[in-house]
Amino acid sequence: MIHVDKLSKVYHDAQRGPHVALAGLSFDVGPGQIYGLIGPNGAGKTTALRILSTVLRPTSGTATVAGFDVTESPIQVRRHIGFVSTNTAVYERMTAWEMVEYFGQLFGLRGEELRERIDKLFNQLQMHDFRDVLGAKMSTGMQQKVSIARALVHDPPVLIFDEATSGLDILVARSLLDTIRRLRDEGKCIIFSTHIMREVEKLCDCVAIMHKGNILREGTLEQLYEEHGETDIEEVFFQLVQGQSPSVANIA
Amino acid sequence: MNFYSVLLIFRREFRDQIRDRRTLFTIIVLPVFLYPLMGMLFLQITQFMQQHPTQVRIVGADHLPDSPRLLNNNQFSEAVLPENLIDLMELEVLENSSSLDSELLRDQAQEQINRGEIDAVVFIPPDFSDQLGEFRNQLRNRQLESQNGVENSALPPMPVLPQPTILFNAASDRSLVAHDRVQRALNSWRELMVDENLMQSHVPKVATRPFEVEHADVAPPIRRRAAMWSKVLPFIVLVWALTGAFYPAIDLCAGEKERGTLETLLSGPALRSEIVWGKLLTVMSFSVATAILNLSSLGITALLYMRQFSAAGATLLAPPPLSAILWLAVAIIPCAALFSALALAVASFAKSSKEGQYYLLPLLMFCLPLMTLSLMPSAELNLGTSLIPLTGLMLLLRVAIEGRIVEALPLLPVIAVVTGGCCCLAIRWAIAQFKNENVLFGENEQVSVIGMVKNIWRDRVATPTLAQAIFGGFLLLAIRFIASTFASVPTSWGGFVQSMLVTQIGFIAAPAIVLTLLLSRKRLQTLALHKLPKWWTIPAAAAMAVCLHPTALWIHRAISHIYPPNPAVLDQLQPIQLLLQSAPLLQVILLIALLPAICEELAFRGFLLSGLRSQTKPFTAIVIASLFFGFTHGIIQQSIFAAMLGVVIGLISVRTGSLLPAIAFHFTNNALVMAASRISTEGVIGTPLGRLLYYTETTTGGTALVPHWHVTIIGALLACLILGRFRSQRRSAPASFTSPLVKSSEMATG
Repeated sequence: MIHVDKLSKVYHDAQRGPHVALAGLSFDVGPGQIYGLIGPNGAGKTTALRILSTVLRPTSGTATVAGFDVTESPIQVRRHIGFVSTNTAVYERMTAWEMVEYFGQLFGLRGEELRERIDKLFNQLQMHDFRDVLGAKMSTGMQQKVSIARALVHDPPVLIFDEATSGLDILVARSLLDTIRRLRDEGKCIIFSTHIMREVEKLCDCVAIMHKGNILREGTLEQLYEEHGETDIEEVFFQLVQGQSPSVANIA
Repeated sequence: MNFYSVLLIFRREFRDQIRDRRTLFTIIVLPVFLYPLMGMLFLQITQFMQQHPTQVRIVGADHLPDSPRLLNNNQFSEAVLPENLIDLMELEVLENSSSLDSELLRDQAQEQINRGEIDAVVFIPPDFSDQLGEFRNQLRNRQLESQNGVENSALPPMPVLPQPTILFNAASDRSLVAHDRVQRALNSWRELMVDENLMQSHVPKVATRPFEVEHADVAPPIRRRAAMWSKVLPFIVLVWALTGAFYPAIDLCAGEKERGTLETLLSGPALRSEIVWGKLLTVMSFSVATAILNLSSLGITALLYMRQFSAAGATLLAPPPLSAILWLAVAIIPCAALFSALALAVASFAKSSKEGQYYLLPLLMFCLPLMTLSLMPSAELNLGTSLIPLTGLMLLLRVAIEGRIVEALPLLPVIAVVTGGCCCLAIRWAIAQFKNENVLFGENEQVSVIGMVKNIWRDRVATPTLAQAIFGGFLLLAIRFIASTFASVPTSWGGFVQSMLVTQIGFIAAPAIVLTLLLSRKRLQTLALHKLPKWWTIPAAAAMAVCLHPTALWIHRAISHIYPPNPAVLDQLQPIQLLLQSAPLLQVILLIALLPAICEELAFRGFLLSGLRSQTKPFTAIVIASLFFGFTHGIIQQSIFAAMLGVVIGLISVRTGSLLPAIAFHFTNNALVMAASRISTEGVIGTPLGRLLYYTETTTGGTALVPHWHVTIIGALLACLILGRFRSQRRSAPASFTSPLVKSSEMATG
């Protein structure tokens, strides 16, 4: 469902000059699979996922989502994905229901069909308690649920979660992971980026460890453990990153 | 573009703004309460000012004559001041002052006034009464003598009366009020004196004003009211439409970036253009609402006050006619559209609401002069003014309110095209901002001057960037402006040569070359001198200038017709014209044709155009470079022509990929103008070829050569053919102007 081939992105930074955020990233994710992207801050996770959600344009390389190219048919790509990121906030002056309804309408859903869909999502995510609360008055957990409902309203086959659990308390984070797992079981193709290793162990079918715009190693958890003789993804991560740049590992 | 999506986005953004307290305050609360509050405050202040009693001292009251009386029971006489003002004057009357102690009193009074203990002091000179008696005696004697047949010229001159003095402090409002009141009393007193003198001389009072002028205003009352309001109302409405557009625009762009919801929307299914249109409609609604609410609130407040004043018997300020309000309502829509698009594009640059606020000032500085231009008494709606954005619209509105819309009908399409065109450009600009990654996701960067210079040097690319090119353009304009303030009109040919060399080489070519050396890695490519063009393109470009010469003459005529040259400017140019006429032709051509062709082309089609092309479409780059080229010419008619010429030269340069054909065209064009000024009209028309190409037309300035229409059209067609040949040559040439940064700075358009 997601095919990324030699994706690169160069930003122009006034201070540092041209800055390579992605250096030829390639990976594939199939339906019913959760693909974990882990890496330290600045590894390029957000840039890669922003390109997949067509918010950014790649400098070179290609990426297709649900069969559509991100640069050639961005609209089709956006119609087939749900994107939840730390940068996709909820509207402060809109209630939970209004926000999800608005995005449903933008995706072309109307009337009873839309109402039923939102009702179902609100049931699943237990959002009825705060359906008429304005975004500004919601807790972080509530806001994240609204974001997820917003991303799921059009029932997309591909879901992209970028640091979706950041800032959430343990209860909300756990329920979010349960939701993601359930979505995987429904056959969705999911990309999940995080820097919390434990979440990866719990959730992901396949993991890619990213550093400085590149994937250092990719595989199932079992494969990675076997390769590095470890039983903890955190240790695997340290080994890989240390091999690349000792200073980063020392600081960490 | 899906209109349903636009409507959805509009509905959401509109509701969002309605739920924002700050917006509601600026758009609704402020206008509703502002004017009544301002009115109340104004009334309070005027009452305070008027009711305040003032303390005035009269020194030397014993020197006042008995008739007419200035004072009565230590107050101003009722004959010299109305009763309500007499009550507001607290008089301190001093008598028996001799000339000796008057100096002392004067110093004392001065100090007291400065300390604010007293508001004004009037000094009556010690011999005032005696001198007045003497004056009247003289007057009587003159009358008797003239009755006895003595000539007027033989009579002794009339004595001059000593002058009363008012001491006051212009830095104190209270003292100024006191001064005005005393002045008024003294003036009335003097009038009474004149009346008495006239009576004494048996001259009827009417002799001083044998007739009065009667004023008859033939304007119908409704027109009279309209004329006054036609200037005030459009200005108020437009200023509020701009303010009403700006605050929502900041919230919808910078505010969304700040709150992190912009990316939510961008990752949704809406197109960038749908997002911009939805936001634009929202901003427009608030702009219109602000203007209408302000107008209504102002109108209601004014009506209430007028009613109050009319009840008190004061003169009435007539309300604006209904038609004025209707015209305003019609005009608000295009104005709001234009302001909203501009505000949205400007606000999208800002990364935070705070940064957005800073951008209001430049926008105001851009719009206000255009609006105030229409308020000038000499501003009239004609083809010239209707071509100026905003000014034309405001003048049209003025004419419409004055009830003269029929006169303006022929210009209506022009204004509609100009306003519509500006709206389209502003909307396109706004959409482009929403597609630009740097604008949407750029971080706030720390500014350090040394660091910036180092980075600019480190990050040099083949040709300058868009920002550097625009900076260069403004730098050239600034240098040109500063230099022109020091320049004086040369009186000799040598002086003229010197001033041309300094201007062209020092102020145009040198800055462009320095910028090229500093900002680009491929300097020759930046100046479009990196490869030789096909040899034939140079004579072909020169031939193109010849072919376009008749068109150029027609354009000159059209520009002079729309914007007639200012006679004062023509007078200033007269000495230079004479110098050019008397100098050797070869020198003139080298100086006026070759020198600018090289220097200006290096700057505008060299540095500026290649920089602009690095990040914009070729034609946009050509137009922007031509606008800068136009602005460097000091006289408006020259500027317009130069901007048009710049587009043609730009096309030549882009299509041939070289500066040399551009220089050849520029040189030939200028040389032709210079050569034409040397050839006599009769000489040309005397030849068969001359008659084939031109006919003569007699104007106030003498006879002028006008090219035949068929000659003009054939010439223009030939020029197009040559340009077409350049194009086919360019296609085969490799593209050398693409920058790797272009692709990354554009967003997925969706």
